[in-house]
Amino acid sequence: MEKAVLVDMTRCIGCRACQVACKEWNERKVVQTTFKGDFTNPLKLSSDCYTNIRFVETEKNGRPVWSFVKDQCLHCRYPACAAACPVGALTKTDKGPVVYNYDKCIGCRYCMIACPFDIPKYEWDSTRPWVQKCSFCSERIKDGMLPACVKTCPTTALCFDDYDKVVAEAESRLKKYPQKYVQHIWGHHEAGGTNWLYLSDVDFEQLGFKSGVSDVSLPDYTWPPLSSIPAKVAGIVTLMSAIAWFRGRGSQENDKS
Amino acid sequence: MKKDNKNTNINSPWIMMALVLVVALVFAAIYRFYSGLGAATNLSDDTPWGLWIGVDVLAGVALAAGGFAIAGAVYIFNLPKYKPIARAAVLTGFVGYVVVSISLFFDIGKPLSLWHPLIMWQPHSIMFEVTWCVVLYTIVLALEFSGPYFESIGARKTAAIMTGRPVLVPLAIAGVTLSFLHQSSLGALFLLMPGKLHHLWWTTMLPYNFFISAIAAGLAMVSFESIIAAKAFHHRLNPEILQGLAKGTAITLLVYFIFRMGDILVKGNISLMFDGGAGTLFLIEMIFFVLIPMLMLFKNTRSTNGMVVVMPQVLVLLGVVFNRLNILFLAQYKQGVSYYPSIVEMAITLGLIASIIVAYKVAIIKLPIMALKKPYTSFDN
Amino acid sequence: MTNHWIDIQNADVILIMGSNAAENHPISFRYVTQAQEKGATLISVDPRFTRTSSKADIFAPLRSGTDIPFIGGMIHYILKNYLYHDEYIRLYTNAPFVVNASFEMPGNLDGVFSGYDPENRKYNKKTWAFKKDEQGLVVKDTTMQDPNCVLQLLAKHYSRYDIDTVADITGTPKDLLELIYKTYAGTGKADKVATIMYAMGWTQHTVGTQNIRAMAIVQLLLGNIGRAGGGVNALRGESNVQGSTDHCLLFHILPGYLKTPRASQENFDAYNNKYIPKTGEPNSANWWGHYSKYSTSLLKAHYGENATKDNDFAYSYLPKLDDGQNESWLMIFHKMLQEKLSGFFAWGQNPACSGANANKTRKALTKLDWMVNVNLFDNETASFWKGPGMNPSQIKTEVFLLPCCASFEKEGSITNSGRWAQWRYKAIDPPGESKSDADIINDLFFEVKKLYENEKGSYPEAITRLSWEYGEKDNQGKINHIDTHLSAKEINGYFLKDTVVKGKQFKKGSLIPSFAYLTDDGATSSGNWLYCNSYTEKGNMMARRSKEDTSGIGLYPKWSWCWPVNRRILYNRASVDAYGKPFDPKRAVIQWNGKKWVGDVPDGGWPPLKNPDGTLNPNTRKAFIMKPSGVAHIFGPGLADGPFPEHYEPLESPLKENPFNKKHRINPVVKLFHLDPKSTLDLVAVSDGQFPYVCSTYRVTEHWQTGVMTRHIPWQLEMMPKIFIEISQELAKLKNIINGEKVNVISARGGLWAIAVVTNRFKPFEIMGNEVHQVGLPWCFGWQYPEDGSSGDSANILTPTIGDANTMIPETKAFMVNVEKI
Repeated sequence: MEKAVLVDMTRCIGCRACQVACKEWNERKVVQTTFKGDFTNPLKLSSDCYTNIRFVETEKNGRPVWSFVKDQCLHCRYPACAAACPVGALTKTDKGPVVYNYDKCIGCRYCMIACPFDIPKYEWDSTRPWVQKCSFCSERIKDGMLPACVKTCPTTALCFDDYDKVVAEAESRLKKYPQKYVQHIWGHHEAGGTNWLYLSDVDFEQLGFKSGVSDVSLPDYTWPPLSSIPAKVAGIVTLMSAIAWFRGRGSQENDKS
Repeated sequence: MKKDNKNTNINSPWIMMALVLVVALVFAAIYRFYSGLGAATNLSDDTPWGLWIGVDVLAGVALAAGGFAIAGAVYIFNLPKYKPIARAAVLTGFVGYVVVSISLFFDIGKPLSLWHPLIMWQPHSIMFEVTWCVVLYTIVLALEFSGPYFESIGARKTAAIMTGRPVLVPLAIAGVTLSFLHQSSLGALFLLMPGKLHHLWWTTMLPYNFFISAIAAGLAMVSFESIIAAKAFHHRLNPEILQGLAKGTAITLLVYFIFRMGDILVKGNISLMFDGGAGTLFLIEMIFFVLIPMLMLFKNTRSTNGMVVVMPQVLVLLGVVFNRLNILFLAQYKQGVSYYPSIVEMAITLGLIASIIVAYKVAIIKLPIMALKKPYTSFDN
Repeated sequence: MTNHWIDIQNADVILIMGSNAAENHPISFRYVTQAQEKGATLISVDPRFTRTSSKADIFAPLRSGTDIPFIGGMIHYILKNYLYHDEYIRLYTNAPFVVNASFEMPGNLDGVFSGYDPENRKYNKKTWAFKKDEQGLVVKDTTMQDPNCVLQLLAKHYSRYDIDTVADITGTPKDLLELIYKTYAGTGKADKVATIMYAMGWTQHTVGTQNIRAMAIVQLLLGNIGRAGGGVNALRGESNVQGSTDHCLLFHILPGYLKTPRASQENFDAYNNKYIPKTGEPNSANWWGHYSKYSTSLLKAHYGENATKDNDFAYSYLPKLDDGQNESWLMIFHKMLQEKLSGFFAWGQNPACSGANANKTRKALTKLDWMVNVNLFDNETASFWKGPGMNPSQIKTEVFLLPCCASFEKEGSITNSGRWAQWRYKAIDPPGESKSDADIINDLFFEVKKLYENEKGSYPEAITRLSWEYGEKDNQGKINHIDTHLSAKEINGYFLKDTVVKGKQFKKGSLIPSFAYLTDDGATSSGNWLYCNSYTEKGNMMARRSKEDTSGIGLYPKWSWCWPVNRRILYNRASVDAYGKPFDPKRAVIQWNGKKWVGDVPDGGWPPLKNPDGTLNPNTRKAFIMKPSGVAHIFGPGLADGPFPEHYEPLESPLKENPFNKKHRINPVVKLFHLDPKSTLDLVAVSDGQFPYVCSTYRVTEHWQTGVMTRHIPWQLEMMPKIFIEISQELAKLKNIINGEKVNVISARGGLWAIAVVTNRFKPFEIMGNEVHQVGLPWCFGWQYPEDGSSGDSANILTPTIGDANTMIPETKAFMVNVEKI
């Protein structure tokens, strides 16, 4: 059974322990940051920052609202990056994490383009560059441990369990507090469904969640042209051969020049 | 067939400049491999694909499509009118595809792993399919090209086999098949980003759009290089070939126009054209690089003036480059992010283009590509 | 805390005020979240919308320094609407007590209570006494209608704190005040309970202690003290500051909250008698009556065999304070600046950044002959002489920086806010030459002792006769490494001879089971009577880690140990009625089963107040055992600035006058440093147009205290690299400041740059008809690291030298500044 995480943003206090725990566990180095009035730091995910908390200030009924959004790879159920990779360097494991294998990678970076959420990052400054992103602590999960971020979260904003149980928990929370939550589980259907799901009390689009992400799993757009290749080859070869034969019959002589 | 040795002078100013660019390419290459992509390019997490993928690969493959188009015309559809330019077209194709492979070698993060897709298979990946088709098609081109090569080294028997119909027809069929697959797959690369690529370009018909525009590009390229080569080597142009190519390009553009506008109409996306930004790019693409050249080509089909014919063909070439770049950068569009190529990136792209020109010229001179026994007139057949 | 961290999950209403718990005590938010999951309402009151406010069901802004009007308004609301828990206050508080008629209040006396001496700025508290009857017992009015009874006086005092007045002073919208009052006061019902979580936002004011008092009064009125999910809960500002105050590192107390002797207490008896309270109240446990047992045991712990009845238990070796002498933080640096101190240990601290008026502190350090800083990293204090504006060639201070090790590099206990002393193990060896603080003190002790033995000096016995049995001695008699188990055991205490106490037999050298067995005859030792029970013959109670809990309210009695005697919720005998039945059966803390109390460790094992038949049980004892009267103080005569909290403006405030009275704008009892003729750097700006904005200082989750540790952790600095000032969008527009821009922040005492954060989380207040802006900055940065100074400097450069009337804790949460574009 695949594992999943429910990120309940109504419980997140923005302490960023998850951000640091991830850096520690994955031995990511520190990046030079500055401060320009946005507490989000580092500002973007990168090869040295698999997850960060985005601070979003909005307003409701004249009162301030402050939300903290944890960004990281969503470990799609049908990942576009894994489908895109020509050598299978990115794969979806049976426990749920989408993991990366440097040895196979050729560095074409198609995964970066393919990902609807722009998650994979690259080690541009290395001569042995890896594609870097959250690995869902797949090694820890394999050993029956919690991902580092989940383990360290003080307020149980991150809930880790089997996928079905996580979805059930999300649904029960929506039902229990209809006034508190926006009635939507983000990631339930987006991009065909992701293993990291979100609940929120603020409109998702206001929090910077990509709008217009199709419910269709993205590899479903590319499998039809690929799976029809044998038919296409057969068709074209037959058609072209037929044309060549018909057209070639009458002009053997013209060819001798 | 004898070589045409007219004008073997390789010291024209154009060639000098090309050689300078090639030297710059070598230095740029050393820097790129030594210091890594981050130092050498302006690529970033926001724009992982840039000039090299956009121009060298996406546009380059389309522009080299002339190979299969002409080979198909001559050996499948049996239109002997185009036979004289068949070898030049195949040469363009072959040199083009080799350079595309070299570009990929520069672009990917682990150049020494470029061979991986041949051994590590991931059949759900469009890029996997593109890789295989390109490899196989380059082999096809090499085989198609081997004829003139064997002729030039005097291996008559082998040359005869490699230039005979029993070899060239199957190769042409393979070429058309493989080209259909990978030209359309380059478009299919962008299929899985309906949320990222602007819907004036994104459509499930995208592979077909790429294939059709590749044909147009290929024909335009063959036309263009024929005109330029004729000028360089002081040949006379064969107006029938040019007219045929022009008509072919025009018809392809028309089909392309119908495919694209039809898709937009059906989806109800017409209003997007007037949204500014991407809409404006679309209008420029359609008007300046599709409609205008198409109309010019239809109008001047009977012209024998090379320069009149070359203008719209150049627009088509530029249009295909413009179209591929639009798609590439709109697919990566993020607010507040801009990209322009670095010096190293430009040195390598320009250097590779220069290499194509130099290689082409050397091949024309050393190999029996332009095997003309006599100057053509419009009345010969 | 009267309660503990996990207990927060039991509350129906949680008020977080004077605290930003989500930011600074993030682990506590696990329990706040759990309470909310069960339907609890979270209220956040803060000048600024914080990370805590983002999770609150109700948020209300208030101007820094106006907590007493806010809470006073709540008291007004509770009394006006009869929402108090009547039975509770009758049984467990001094609400029915009658105060003597000569007592007068600020409403009548223009802002002060009766007995005020304006010359000396202090109170003669004679009139703050209860009316006594012929037997000398306090007169009580069970109807609580007597105009001089505490409840009526309380009502009269807070009648001036009506909601309109409160809204005008605090700047809090009226509708929010009403909503909060209604929500919170709803827990006056027997089966409802609310908790208050507060921290430095309440304590760091000239009226800090009274802020807490105001809330204690509210909690008593509502019957929330002693209850699960209730209490008055201070969120301590450091992981072991509870431990440090328990072991009394402050000048005026000895371990276990005993008092430092004064010079006028010439012998041990005089000393003990001063602090042994006498009470006439029947059935009062008067637990401080055992004072001499604790003080004797303490001296036995310190001096061992050298403390006997004959030498007054070595009482003469204890250092004494002059009567009225105050050596708290602000006084230390005040005297240091006047060159009255030649040496200084800045132990595990960074005063150059943490103390109010940082420029004064830094200047004071230059006057020392020598200074020792014990710390993990170099910091602004150890390197003060290299700081901005310093000329090292002109500074004569000899500075020693001793490297100490971090908490996981040594073994010992840490006492959290909930009084839980949790034993921690050593994970790795300290790097380099760093040592544990215990080992450093140990080395110092042996050196100093040797010097005294060799050179005599002034009064050597106090040092040379100390008992010091904290580790293995080498053949020179020196201990080279402290075994903290031995100090822990001594803190618990030993029987020093075979003895019988309370009919039980104990052997010499055995550990004392609890402080109930301590004696004043020299038979027992205990380094801290509160911790007696923490390390017994059964083992190290602090090291226990069992998650077994049958209480249903998260007591976890077998997880580590808390004082006193592992009682998790203090005053829990107030959680039951007179018959021992819980007011709130669903969240029962203790209940009487006919023979004994079951549940938490009861606050004294005596039977309930009444027998089943309704008669008074003579063997009972009243619930609040530490008070001589046995009841909790709503009327609190023990504080320096009044028995009821009264609003006074902060020293630096936007108002020229106290809205409540014309005569006393600020707390009438606080020491005014700026009026000291020797003062040079205690500049103050009152209602000064140059400094028009209210300012507060606060923390961030990412950094710890002055940032000495966290600025050296790259992952922390990456998240929060430099000092910022949060300002409202309205103020930004006024001063033409844009988000992310560097600005200058100045007060009367100094200035520094900060990055402007323009946010909707600050909004201007309307105070007494005028628009008042408030801003705030974190105090976790310092010039010393990063070395290029790119993080900025300490916000304490701005803060004033003035402290609370009772504790002298600096008023760093409300002062005035200006903000300018650079």
